[in-house]
Amino acid sequence: MASNSEKERQIDPVGQSFVRFGSWERLAGNARFCADIEMEGMAFLVAVRSQRHHALIKSVNSEKALSSRGCLGVFTSADIPGKNRFGIINKDQFLLAENKVRCIGDPIAIVAGETLPDAQKAARLVQVSYQELPSVFDPEEALRPDAPKIHDNGNFLGNRIIRKGSPEEAFRNSDVVVERYYETSHVEHCYIEPDAGVAFVDHDGVVTIFASTQNPHYDLKDVCDLLALDESKVRIIQSPTGGGFGSKLDLNTQGFVGLAAWILKRPVKMVYTREEAFLCTAKRHPLKIWYKSGATRDGRLMAADVRIIGDTGAYASYGLAVVSRSAVHATGPYEIPNLNIESKFAYTNHPMAGAMRGFGVPQIAFAHESQMDLLAQALDMSPVEIRLRNSLRVGSQTATGQQLHASVGIAKTIEAVKPYYEKARKQAPALKPHLKYGVGVASMLYGIGNTGVQNPSTAQVELLKDGSITLYSGAADIGQGSTTVLAQIAAQELNMDPLAIKLVIADTGRTTSAGATSASRQTYISGNAVLDATKKLKDVLVTHAASKLKASRSRMRLEPGFVYDMENVQNKASFQELASIMSRTGTPLKWQGFFDPDTTPLDPVSGMGKPYATFAYATHVAEVAVDTLTGEVQVLRVSAAHDVGKAINPENVRGQIYGGVVMGLGFALMEEFEPGKTESLKDYHIPTCADIPEIVPIIVEDFEPTGPFGAKGVGEPALIPTAPAILNAISDALGSRIYKLPANLERVLAAAILSKES
Amino acid sequence: MPEDFEKEMDSVSISFRLNGEAVSIQVDPSESALVVLRDRLGLKGTKEGCGIGECGACSIMVDAKVINSCLTLAPQLDGREVMTVEGLAALPAGQSIQKAFAETGGVQCGFCTPGMLISSFSLLLSNPKPARSEIIEAISGNICRCTGYVQIIDAIESASRTLSDNDNKNL
Repeated sequence: MASNSEKERQIDPVGQSFVRFGSWERLAGNARFCADIEMEGMAFLVAVRSQRHHALIKSVNSEKALSSRGCLGVFTSADIPGKNRFGIINKDQFLLAENKVRCIGDPIAIVAGETLPDAQKAARLVQVSYQELPSVFDPEEALRPDAPKIHDNGNFLGNRIIRKGSPEEAFRNSDVVVERYYETSHVEHCYIEPDAGVAFVDHDGVVTIFASTQNPHYDLKDVCDLLALDESKVRIIQSPTGGGFGSKLDLNTQGFVGLAAWILKRPVKMVYTREEAFLCTAKRHPLKIWYKSGATRDGRLMAADVRIIGDTGAYASYGLAVVSRSAVHATGPYEIPNLNIESKFAYTNHPMAGAMRGFGVPQIAFAHESQMDLLAQALDMSPVEIRLRNSLRVGSQTATGQQLHASVGIAKTIEAVKPYYEKARKQAPALKPHLKYGVGVASMLYGIGNTGVQNPSTAQVELLKDGSITLYSGAADIGQGSTTVLAQIAAQELNMDPLAIKLVIADTGRTTSAGATSASRQTYISGNAVLDATKKLKDVLVTHAASKLKASRSRMRLEPGFVYDMENVQNKASFQELASIMSRTGTPLKWQGFFDPDTTPLDPVSGMGKPYATFAYATHVAEVAVDTLTGEVQVLRVSAAHDVGKAINPENVRGQIYGGVVMGLGFALMEEFEPGKTESLKDYHIPTCADIPEIVPIIVEDFEPTGPFGAKGVGEPALIPTAPAILNAISDALGSRIYKLPANLERVLAAAILSKES
Repeated sequence: MPEDFEKEMDSVSISFRLNGEAVSIQVDPSESALVVLRDRLGLKGTKEGCGIGECGACSIMVDAKVINSCLTLAPQLDGREVMTVEGLAALPAGQSIQKAFAETGGVQCGFCTPGMLISSFSLLLSNPKPARSEIIEAISGNICRCTGYVQIIDAIESASRTLSDNDNKNL
């Protein structure tokens, strides 16, 4: 039992909404994003990019460009000192095209100029001659034997199979079977900061790169390979990063600025235009999904048969992760004993698709949540009831046969939004006759961390001689607030103010790898690494304090800057004194933490395994008004319940929910990147504040025993249920369903007309 | 554009008040206000997000009105009163808005933030107690991809309350 004085001394930073670190410098306009960095003698880079979908490069003529005023060089693949290959999973990308281009926008040459206009002008003078090759844009066509071959090994990226039970027999025994086909579109991340990087060679000969990135330690490895440099000769420092959502996991400008700085031996800067950020960075994978579900009369799910075909475009990026994740999450947060799932992705000549907030789960959730409503309708059940009846719970098995032991909050999230659903059902607002009101519900589960592979994080916590604490983490904070959360975790363990912790973040020269800021993994995985490091330091502090205070270790407690004896609170040792004792006795002042989630790989034949150590769960209820004359959908309210294990920073969690819901609304209603047509923000619309509904964020905390103070993650889950909830609401309003995202004006109007006719 | 045309354009001299101080500078008539502010005058707080006036990251205040500096030619600033986020940050009312943004969680990645602040400041200048719908209208030209806008709208409401409570005349 904690004594009163102990309670008084307890700060408990975990669970408090500290202002997100970095807010103030951003508000003052002082945060130096890459585009804001100025250095003496800085040169500017512009890329020369493919204007063909698929072609052999016959020649690249740089003569005119090189003689243009202010041109400092034109670099092609021949100028790359190392291996001209990179890619986050498959090394199938070329920094600069060698003999062929595989999509429009493929980089062919990099032009350096004294000024940006000099570089732009010279880039226009680079002449590329092509020999066109046949192209393929449909992933199914791309997998046919006679399809044009995009890569030497063909167009097959990979597949993931999950088989269990006897699906055929289960379908025969089902009272209701629903089979539908769904499609989703390419989606652009549309972070507001276009990709940017700055590089220079420092006085020790280290190629130092400031990057707008989610993944500095991965960047380091690929840049080293491209430049044939040892890891000690390259340093990646994450600059303030203006949003990422998955696309800044890829190497975008880092390789270009690294190469040019290395060759020119002067600082260089490259900032993508918005058009370049649209054309040349990853997109959300468009999926084609065939989904067959069977259930008994009382609404128990019996079987699912799911075929997923994905278009990864010209390069893999995170494609294989999306292949796996879409299959593993195809059941949604429900227990289905009989499964036959296959996800298969192909290369095409489209722009590359890669990671985007959810790695395929938002797409597959659209399908499984539409199926749930169709089953409910066929069985005359409430959509809420059928979800509750099939929800995973402690002791359930996931699609991959993983037994769930704790923190299965799905039913709690459904129960949390149920009152909103029921109230909406009972009290439909009075609307004009051409407006139809509808309510929809949708749920999801999301595995925290990478799928069935090791994805450790490391961190260090250091006691300085002045008694202060420094936290080192390689985790890139891209605005979601991971740095704040990691500091809160360390501060909780040391019982101190997180604002008093000095931070060294996402700098490969000073931090070790925390892995990527992706897969909603930084709170859980890097949070645990930070906690591990902090516990080690605390252990040593307590040991030395016990010795100095001549009292047992078990009586030692921490308060800001001190370790004290809980039975005699005046008897205490300062961190500064302890640091000095530790130095004298040869005790390390800096401790390292490590965490790798407990997972096993998925069996390649059956798909069985334990791909994640824990899952987040969520349920959203959407209320909409559909204009049957224009097809316009107004989302009135989204009530969003998220099981996050423990909200380390509740305002951060709510921030993720608000942002996720609005991004989900864009995915549901308006966002479609049409390759070859979409160029910029003038023809790609994301939600503005005029489009947003009332959002009711509901935090559910189903404690995760392996999480730092019980926490899991929320970044991607925030977005996932929104689109299916909105689509289910539209279907409720119109009595006819839309099977392709986005549900834009044309599709909604078509559905409205269809419903009037029937 | 013919090559010699690019060379032939003469620079022009412009004078304006920037964040309360007089500025005179030679500019190329085709340069945008954004480029002049960022690259010539070193005020990096104003951001470029799209270059075509769609995102609002480059919002600045010119004679109390919000404009997209990426679409404004530098000579158009001549004789005007210009405010960027750096100037806003120096005013008590601007600081109240910044504080509200920080406390409500209105800043995530922060790239849209300077533009949002400018739009908020301009709104509260002309309409100290705006309705939620008026706030939404005022920032509808500023795109944010992170926050879902809720905490930004909350911040502006909160700043409006603080400023009217203080009966602040500094706006």
